[in-house]
Amino acid sequence: MVTEPVGLSNNLPIKRVMPARVGDTDIAVWRSASGVVSAWLNRCPHRGMRLSHGFVRGESLACLYHGWQYGCDNKCKYIPAHPALEPPTTIQTMAYTVVEKHGVLWVSLDGTPEIPALFEKLQPVRSISFNCSNEDVLSALAETTLTCDDGQVLSASDMQSQNILILDNPQNKPKLAVLFQKSSAANVTAHLLADNSWSIDGLIRISRWCELVRRRAEIKIPDNRRNL
Amino acid sequence: MSFKLYNYVLSGNCYKVRLFAGVLGINYDSIAVDFHPGQEHKSDDLMQLNPAGTLPIMIADDLVLTETSAMLIWMASKFDSDNTWWPATDAAKTAAIVQWLGFSSDLTSTIGEARLHTMLNRDVKIEKALADGIVALRRIEAQLTEQGLRGGAWLVGESPTIADIACFPYVALAPDAGLEHDDYPAIRNWLYAIRSLSGFVTMPGIHEVHELRNEGD
Ligand SMILES: N[C@@H](CCC(=O)N[C@@H](CS)C(=O)NCC(=O)O)C(=O)O
Ligand code: FES
Repeated sequence: MVTEPVGLSNNLPIKRVMPARVGDTDIAVWRSASGVVSAWLNRCPHRGMRLSHGFVRGESLACLYHGWQYGCDNKCKYIPAHPALEPPTTIQTMAYTVVEKHGVLWVSLDGTPEIPALFEKLQPVRSISFNCSNEDVLSALAETTLTCDDGQVLSASDMQSQNILILDNPQNKPKLAVLFQKSSAANVTAHLLADNSWSIDGLIRISRWCELVRRRAEIKIPDNRRNL
Repeated sequence: MSFKLYNYVLSGNCYKVRLFAGVLGINYDSIAVDFHPGQEHKSDDLMQLNPAGTLPIMIADDLVLTETSAMLIWMASKFDSDNTWWPATDAAKTAAIVQWLGFSSDLTSTIGEARLHTMLNRDVKIEKALADGIVALRRIEAQLTEQGLRGGAWLVGESPTIADIACFPYVALAPDAGLEHDDYPAIRNWLYAIRSLSGFVTMPGIHEVHELRNEGD
């Protein structure tokens, strides 16, 4: 199974938890106070509450519902209703492999992270979700172009692999990378990274450009090639 | 007491005022109104006070205010001595804030309506309310994303303003209407920042940031 990008590192500060999807699987990704990242099935072993609604306490994630706490080793550490009890070590969350690389959080459900060779020194721009298929997004992308700060016009024809769309010179210096996280036939999330040639206004232009792509991908109204 | 508030605990609009009062650290008189099931906001007495038949209603000095935007501006002008929540002399900022105050009523008419449907079984065109609710969430997400790229965490400028207070309740309560925050990382960070404000108060569906409390309590 392919390793999926599930979010940008800078969107998961320490002591925070976020929801994500890998295929059909709902997961909770969280970062402890000391910075350890874990990715778990988004179901509390107690009564099934989404763990992404919980809160981080130091090196544990506490479930919002009855406050059971789970440590970075996935084991239950504390049950508030029975404070004196040492929870049995069999109570644990369903954990997946999570790796942080290139400013992106990658999750593999089957334990073998295969992170695509990306390029160093890209900065996170944003994540954006689409209510349409990956094909719709790719075809909308193919119809739009994006102008760099130096006037160069990027288009999607530059390079395309299964999960990553690299705009500009694929050999060594991409100006923009779009990583696709496919959760279902009707839902895709894209994570965008840019090189350091973009000014703040340029990064904002990228953000608006992907909103344009989304409008077109979701409505699928044919339009003339447009540029932002 | 600084003002009197006709109040309903589950109302996102009443919560704007309660939240801002908490953040400013001011006390007020709260008069509980039986909005559901009593429909007390449509009673003769309250309709005399507010012919629009909505909550909240604020009695502020000699004024009767029935629009939350007006209430937030009045509260900021009167009680925020630093003038950061409503920087009255900054034309660009106040204009941008009023844009978001206007937008906040779109949140009431989309997410707020969908929530009345889900929670109180109100007769609402639910599919349209939800679809428009997603459009509204995406607008906030886009603005917060751009602010983040500029290095900011708030809807307008570099510090929280009444624009954030006005938009917060129905964005935070969207899951009540079935609109989860999963697809909106910038919104999640902003909700967290607002919940971390000193003086923050909760309402059903919006809890405090537990990790800011001491371990073990
Ligand atoms: N214009 C008002 C709108 C307030 C509003 O819509 N309040 C809701 C409660 S959150 C209400 O009273 N609705 C009347 C009803 O649903 O019967 C404001 O923003 O202050
Ligand atoms: S469901 Fe998580 S602690 Fe009970």
